Amino acid sequence: MLGNKAAVLESLRQKITALETNPLLKETDVPVISAGLLATPRGSLHEVFADSVRDSGAALGFALAQARSQIEASRPAVLFMQLEADALEVGLPYALGLQSFGFDPERLVFVRPRTITELLWAVEEAIACRAVAAVVADIVHPHKALDFTASRRLSLRAAASGASVFLVRYARDREATAARYRWKIVPHLSAAPPFDDRAPGPPRWRVTLEKGSLDKRRNATPAGDEYLVDWTDNGFSPADDRRRDDAGLPRRPAHPHAAPAAMGDGLPQTG
Amino acid sequence: MLHLPRWATDCLKRADPALAASQRPLVLWEKQKGAMRLVALDAAASGFGLRIGQSLSDARAIVPDLEAREMDRAFIEQTFADFADWHSNASPIVAVLTDQASYGDLCLDITGVSHLFGGEQAMLDKLLQRLRSLGFSVDGAIASTIGVAWAMAHYLPGRIVPEGMEDKALQSLPVAALRLEDMQVDGLLQLGLKRIGQLYERDRKSLQARFGASFLLRLDQALGWIEEKLDPRLPIAEWFAEHRFPEPIGLIDDVLMCAHDLAVQLNSKLEGAMLGAQAFHLFLYRVDHKVMTLSVNAARATRNAEHISRLFSYRAERLGGEYDAGFGIDMIRLAASSVSALDATQAGVFGIDDGTRTLEHLHDRMSSRLGPLAVVKTAFVNSHIPERAVRLEPAIAPRPSLLSDIPEVAAERPLRLLLKPEPINVIAEVPDAPPASMIWRRVTYRFVKSSGPERIGAEWRYAGHRLKLTPQSIEAATNPESPDRYFEEGEISRDYYVAEDDGGRRFWLFRLGQFGIAAEPRWYLHGFFS
Repeated sequence: MLGNKAAVLESLRQKITALETNPLLKETDVPVISAGLLATPRGSLHEVFADSVRDSGAALGFALAQARSQIEASRPAVLFMQLEADALEVGLPYALGLQSFGFDPERLVFVRPRTITELLWAVEEAIACRAVAAVVADIVHPHKALDFTASRRLSLRAAASGASVFLVRYARDREATAARYRWKIVPHLSAAPPFDDRAPGPPRWRVTLEKGSLDKRRNATPAGDEYLVDWTDNGFSPADDRRRDDAGLPRRPAHPHAAPAAMGDGLPQTG
Repeated sequence: MLHLPRWATDCLKRADPALAASQRPLVLWEKQKGAMRLVALDAAASGFGLRIGQSLSDARAIVPDLEAREMDRAFIEQTFADFADWHSNASPIVAVLTDQASYGDLCLDITGVSHLFGGEQAMLDKLLQRLRSLGFSVDGAIASTIGVAWAMAHYLPGRIVPEGMEDKALQSLPVAALRLEDMQVDGLLQLGLKRIGQLYERDRKSLQARFGASFLLRLDQALGWIEEKLDPRLPIAEWFAEHRFPEPIGLIDDVLMCAHDLAVQLNSKLEGAMLGAQAFHLFLYRVDHKVMTLSVNAARATRNAEHISRLFSYRAERLGGEYDAGFGIDMIRLAASSVSALDATQAGVFGIDDGTRTLEHLHDRMSSRLGPLAVVKTAFVNSHIPERAVRLEPAIAPRPSLLSDIPEVAAERPLRLLLKPEPINVIAEVPDAPPASMIWRRVTYRFVKSSGPERIGAEWRYAGHRLKLTPQSIEAATNPESPDRYFEEGEISRDYYVAEDDGGRRFWLFRLGQFGIAAEPRWYLHGFFS
């Protein structure tokens, strides 16, 4: 009797998996672009959460860092989308800052729709394009239109087209979503740069992977996988906050070129 | 030339059937120099001997049973402009002549058009018949110059003046037919010059001395010695395709389907001439004399029918509730402008498939749906003021940039820049120690690390003087309270700091003005680092 029940349950489970499995969302062997830290397959929907708007810099930085890893020669473009009204609150990506962050500002096109419906339309339209590597959508406030159905739709479209979508959001509570990955970004006190203890170092974030898994063989732990990473020239690098970074030199901020020495006043690094 | 002497009352009567059905004479009045004067009459009112310029109370005394309404000039002019646009289904060049009255005179350039209507006489009859059956009182004339056509339409309607006969046609008309100013007409009448024919033999120099150059210009224009240009209301399209419907259509889907067919037709026309266009306009002619225009732009010259019709369908989605077909649309015209050469190989199906083309098409589509200013790229400007160093430009039509390279900056720049620096309260040691803590949006942040300052001064062309509205005076320069005094550079230079708080958030903030120079240095938050 008991064994029979187990067998029935097992067959039901199999049926349900067969029903649920969408060929697009199946864990296929999508080639990982770079086998670096936190590398994700292309064509997936990500949610990047920060606790509040004051962490918007870190959240945008992480999303752009991930988007950069998706760029390749045949897919050169990244689009940044933000509601027009939200720009007053959190500002816009700054081209010169992108340059020092290590992201080519020429690649980034800004889309500034008026309503969330238009924004979702624009995301869908953009990822349908073959030349788009990723879309970063900065959504400051929660919206009714951005529900489970919308995220499911986006994730299907992203999987079909191969372009990734990063929804940058600011909230402590999480809604049901069809995103394949959900990240939580908290800025972390940076390591000291090599020659100046009192100046801020390269960006350092505490990244929690709350949903999804980078390792196919293993499911995510319930509390999420936690990483402490620095953002450097070469992408993410693991950071150890207990050990002081004495080796120093190779770990530099993601700065494409050094500050010109010809500036008249040598800039003091501390006050 | 079509002249509608009673347009104002006719169009009110058309809008209001009760008014049209009533037998009471209708007049429109307007306040002129404090008096209420008549400005428009219908046929019944002029039958009672009323005239334009009469005061309303006089008119009421003559005709007690008068329907008087205040003139809504803006509305009347707007409806006349729409009415004029609608006439572009007869000829592509339609203009409203406004030098005598702001409405009522419609000028159509029918060069090379009249044969489509079966000759000039047939065309004139058809246009007049069409309008009269709608209840407008209208006169018309055809001539080879605007001046003669205007004179004929006003004084001898229904004529067609053949080329070369202008002087004979005008000979017996009153001088007012030359579209002169009132003072000029009065002067001519005083001299006994009543007919235009009397002017031909006069000495031109003395006429010019007496009545001004504009008088001779009008005469010469009417006789065809000097060319007069029409100012067409709608852009003249050299390349267009159009479709007329036996029955008016209303649904936007039908319109878009037709737009697709027209795009295919236009494509073959442009392809034959090896051309492409960057702007496309869809004119929808409604049966109730209005024209709706939809325009889309493309980043690169194109003639791809699929792409064009798709842009229009996105543009139509942006219309939403604005779309109103009225009683139906009986003609659609698709016109192309900003035409440039486009080789046949570029537009082929087997073209080389690189990402940039699809990306440009994506920008076109998003711009047509969201508006051209919603899809932008950054361009660099030669300025070291951070917010001025970068400019947002439409992705489909960027201005040529002066800077080819990304400008070098001395220190790290933030990833996000606030559109406007936000004032903050900062605790910092005087004079120029890095900030220790700040209050931004009512939350306190305590800084543990910082670097800076990076001093960014005013641009040299502004440094040393304030933008002055009044002439600089010595007293003002020495008086520190005066807004016109010279200011020192240290007053508006900015000292930027990168400050990291105990949570690892990094901010870009600056102090406007230096201690000891500026009266009151203030702190602002300008950006966020990643």
